[in-house]
This record gives sequence, structure tokens and C-alpha cells, in this order.
Amino acid sequence: MLLAAVLLAACSEPLPPKLSQGTLLPSAKPVAAFQLTDHRGQPFTLENLKDNWTFAFFGYTHCPDVCPTSMAMLAQVQRKLEQQDGLDKLPQVVFVSVDPERDTAALLSEYVPYFHASFIGASGDEQNTLNLSRQLGILYGKVEGSAADNYLIDHSTAIILLDPDGAFRAVFGIPHEPDAIANDFLAIKTYYEATQ
Amino acid sequence: MKRTFLTLILSTWSLLATADSTLQIENAWVREAPPSAHMMAAYMTLKNTGSGEAVLTQVDSPAFGHVMLHKSEVVDGVARMIHQDEIVIPAQGSVELKPGSFHLMMPAPEKRLVEGDRVDFILTFSNGATTRVQADVRKKP
Repeated sequence: MLLAAVLLAACSEPLPPKLSQGTLLPSAKPVAAFQLTDHRGQPFTLENLKDNWTFAFFGYTHCPDVCPTSMAMLAQVQRKLEQQDGLDKLPQVVFVSVDPERDTAALLSEYVPYFHASFIGASGDEQNTLNLSRQLGILYGKVEGSAADNYLIDHSTAIILLDPDGAFRAVFGIPHEPDAIANDFLAIKTYYEATQ
Repeated sequence: MKRTFLTLILSTWSLLATADSTLQIENAWVREAPPSAHMMAAYMTLKNTGSGEAVLTQVDSPAFGHVMLHKSEVVDGVARMIHQDEIVIPAQGSVELKPGSFHLMMPAPEKRLVEGDRVDFILTFSNGATTRVQADVRKKP
């Protein structure tokens, strides 16, 4: 009887984790190829997502309130994970610019590492930015009527989690709590590894 | 004599313009921004102990060329910033300018502000009252 129960437990699939803040997609959604450039001027493509867990946030450097708040929050998540025993590799955090017109690699290279030395800034042309954002359910758009050189951009606040296969795995809506996001990430990672 | 009289008038006007004990500004701070940031934000709590509403209509600062009243709103997961002509503080009430909500937006000055710096803001209300507040620059989530 006991042996049967053990065997049954061993054979059954692990259950998806209960998350406190994030939403796990019912099945991971593979991401199609995209072409961005990182803040060091190097290509940032689908290949850069492989073998890494990735948090992606879409924003722009002229945004004074929501973007720095989210980036500082992600730095808190990263610092919490740095203290986590047994975590072999930190997730990469990518700030994808929704304002490629103004967010040059040079500008991103001063902006993104300010929050955490490991953070990556990425931007691309309109087509590639739209391509990636649409795949991840991110919306953005320039505010009509704002000044040509000092415009605002509306944008999704969601933080996207991609798995080491480069697939869209989970989404974190607001309010963003660093403890909850760090714990949810660890639970998702454990579940992912148990199902490989 | 004429000059003394003018000084007297100016100082009295200044006293009248700033004397509004029913407005209290607390916890004023400016978020330290990355070196390349073009825009900065400031936050504070505006308390109105008076019996009538107070309406903030303008903010100036010697540290910034321009200060705008803004509000961030998130609707269906999308953040947008909306310019505010005024911010109303209800009688016996308060309004918190905080991340993700009401805030002041300023173009970053040429000399970068860093944690520990202090900047002045002059808040002007619709009744003509002005209040000066000193804000700390903080590196904060």
C-alpha cells in the first residue's frame, strides 16, 4: 500500500506552483526570433534568452515615475536572489525600450546599469520592438499631442518572465512586491526543473 | 524713505503670501535619477488643516527650469502620465504625491543631483498663498 503510494507520487507530474503575485501561463509560449541591440552595442536576440531566466520590462528613459520605480524594484528582486543559497545563476533583467527614437545604446549604457550592474538595456527598430512586445502581450504608444521632442509614451507595466528555452512563462502585474516576485520566481524555476 | 517704504511693502506682501499655517508639506523628496535621465520626479505629502479646500496650481524650483504637475495612472495594465492643471487638497485632508500616482515632473538639471543633495520647491496655491519646501534627493525604490 505504502509502496503503491510512493510509486504513484513518483510517477505523477508536479503541480504548478501557487504564486503570490505572478500569473503562470498554462503552457509556456515560445518566442519567435527578434533582433535588438543591447546597451553595449551588441546584438540581443532570441539566442540571448536561451539558457537564462529573463525578467523583461518595457519602458523608456524619459519616464520619470513608473519606469525608475519598476527598475529599482527589479534591482531589489535581484539583490534578494543574490542572497539565495543554491541559486546557480541569477536571472537576467532586460529593459526593453519602447522609445528607440531617443533611447540610444549610449543613453541606455548610462541608464540601465545604474539600477544594477547586471541589468541589460535593449532597443531596436519599430518593427522588432513591436514584434517582441506583441509576443509578450505588451502594449505601448506615443501620447498624441505631446511635444515632438518631449513626448510621453503610454506603456504596459507588466514584468515578463521568460524561461531558459526562451519561452514566455509568467507575467507579473502591479503592484510589484520584490519579495513576492523573488519567491514566485524560485517556485517557477523549481517547477520548470521538475518538469524537464 | 521711499525705498524703505517699498521694502516694507514687499516684505509685508511676502509675509502675507507665504503665511498659510493650514498647509503642511511633509516628506518631500526627489528621486535620484540615472546619469543619462532627462526627467526627474519629486514626491511629498500635502496636508490641509483648513476648513476649505486648497488648490495647488503651480510649483517652481531654483533647481529646475520647469516643474510640472503630473499623475501616473494604470488602466488595464497600461501606465500613462496625465498633466494636471491643479491638485486639490480637500479641507481637513491630504494628498500624497507618490510613485505611481501624483508627482512633480522636472527636466533633469545639467549638474546631476545625487543622494544627499537638497532642493527647494515653492508651491503656489489658488488663493495666492505660497509655501516653500526643501526636498531631499534620495535613492529609493
